[in-house]
Amino acid sequence: MSSIKFILAIWKTNLQAAMEYRASFLTQTIGMMLNNTMYFIIWVVFFDRFKDVRGWGLSDMYVTFGVSASAFGLVALFFGNAFNLGDIITKGRLDYYLSLPRPVLMHALASRSVSSGMGDFLYGILSFIASGIFTWDAMLRFSLATLSGAVVFASFLIIVQSLAFWIGNSSNLSGLATNAMITFAIYPITIFDNSAKIILFTIIPAALMGAVPASFARAFTWQTLAQLLLGASLLLIIAVNIFHTGLKLYESGSAIQTEI
Amino acid sequence: MKKYWHLFKVQLINSLAYPGELIGRSLVIFPFMWIFYQLWKVTFAANGSTEINGLTFPMTLWYLMIAETIELSRPRLANTISEAVKDGSIAYTLNKPYNFLLYHFSTSMGETIFRALVNALLGSALVWWLVGAPPSLLGWPLTLLTMLGAWTLNFCLSAFIGLAAFIVEDTSAFQWIYQKMAFILGGLLIPLDFYPEWLQAIAKALPFASMTYGPARLFVSPTIPAFLSTLAMQAIWILVLAILLTITYRRNISHLALNGG
Repeated sequence: MSSIKFILAIWKTNLQAAMEYRASFLTQTIGMMLNNTMYFIIWVVFFDRFKDVRGWGLSDMYVTFGVSASAFGLVALFFGNAFNLGDIITKGRLDYYLSLPRPVLMHALASRSVSSGMGDFLYGILSFIASGIFTWDAMLRFSLATLSGAVVFASFLIIVQSLAFWIGNSSNLSGLATNAMITFAIYPITIFDNSAKIILFTIIPAALMGAVPASFARAFTWQTLAQLLLGASLLLIIAVNIFHTGLKLYESGSAIQTEI
Repeated sequence: MKKYWHLFKVQLINSLAYPGELIGRSLVIFPFMWIFYQLWKVTFAANGSTEINGLTFPMTLWYLMIAETIELSRPRLANTISEAVKDGSIAYTLNKPYNFLLYHFSTSMGETIFRALVNALLGSALVWWLVGAPPSLLGWPLTLLTMLGAWTLNFCLSAFIGLAAFIVEDTSAFQWIYQKMAFILGGLLIPLDFYPEWLQAIAKALPFASMTYGPARLFVSPTIPAFLSTLAMQAIWILVLAILLTITYRRNISHLALNGG
C-alpha cells in the first residue's frame, strides 16, 4: 500500500514539474500527435495503393498503431526512465535510489516523465476511434490491451537496459533493440512468416505490444486475453528478476552527493 | 575556406575514434531492411506482378537501402544547436573567428561521411544476401554525388530548425515534423513511384524528394538525364535555402539569450 502511495506521489510531483512549463508540455504533446499523424499518412498512402496485406487493411493499422502509440505513451509518461535506465546504471546514478528505503526499480523508472508521451497516448486513442470499430466495450478492451502493451514494452526496456550491469555502456544495443521493438510492433503481423513470428513473440516481443493487443481490442476471445495477460506477466517477472540479478553486480564511485 | 576544410577533417577523424560505436549505431539498418524485405515481398506477391510502376522487388529493396543510408547518416544538427543554446555552450562557438553556419556545415559533413559508409556497407551486405546484386554499377558514382547534395540540403533545413532554438530553445517538435516530412515527401518508406500522381507531383517539387528519392532512384535506374535533373533540383533548393538561412541567422542572433556556459 505504501508503494502505491509513493508512486502516486512521484507521478504527482512529475505532473507538477511538467505544469511548471505548460507551454513546453503543450508543444511536446501537440507536436507528438502531429508527428504520429504524419507518420501514419505513409500507411494511408500504402493501403490506398495496395488495399491490403494478406487480409490486413488500413483499419487494422489504425488499431495496431493506436494500441502501440498509447502503450508507448504510458511508459514514457509514467516510467520515463525506462528509456535511459542503462545510462543511470553505467553512470552510477542508481546510488541515489539505493540510498532510500523504497523499491529501487520502481523509484528509478518513475522518477522521470517524458512530456511527449502524452501526445503518443492521446494519439493512440484517436487512432483507435478513427479505425471505425469504436464502441464502449471495444474501448474497454482497447484500454486493457494498451495497459498490457505498456507492461510488455516497459518490461522489454528494463531487460535490454539492464544489460548495462553486465556489459557496461549498452546504449547502442539497447537503442537497436528498442527501435526494432517499436518498428516491428507497428507493422502488419501478416507480413511475417512463422519463424519470424517466433522471434516476435520471444526475443523481440513486438507482437505482444502491437498485433495481439490490437486483435483483442478488435474482438474479444479468451485465447487473446490469455496471451495478453500471460505474456505481460511473464515478461514483467523476467524483467524484474534480471534487474535484481544485475543489481548484485552494481558498482559505482558513489554519486549520492551529486544526485542530492 | 582552409579552416573549414580543417574542421571537416578533424570531425572526420573524430568520427573514427570509436569504431565500435560507429558500427553499433549503424546496426539499426538491419531490422529496418529486414522488415522492408518482408513487407515488399508480400506486397509484390499479392500484386501478382514482378514490376510495380517501373520498380521490381530487388530494385525496391536497393532503393530503400540507399534511402535509409541517407536518413540514418544525417547528423541531428538541430538537436546539437538546440542543446548548445540550452546549456549556453553556444557562446564558445559564436565568439570564434569563423562563420557559425559554415562551422556547423563542415563539422556535420565530417560526421556524416563514415557513418554513411558503414550504413551503406552493412545495408548492402544484407540486401545483396536477400535479393541479389544491385541493378547497375553506374548507380554508385551518380548516387554518391547526389548524396552530397542531399546532405547539404539536410544541413540547410536542419540549421533552420536549429536557429529556431535561438528563440524557442526546445526544437524537438519541429525536428519530429521535419523528419516526418522527409519520410513522406522524400519517399523514405515507400518509393514516390507508388504514390498517387498528384502527391508525386507535389513531393517532387519540394526539397525532400531531392534529399532521398532522387539519389535512391538514381541508384536503381541510373541515367544521365535523371542525374542532371536531380543535381539541378538540389542546386536550386540549396541556393534558395542558403539565402534564407543567412537572413534568418542574422535576424535570430539578436534574439539569442544564453542560460549558462
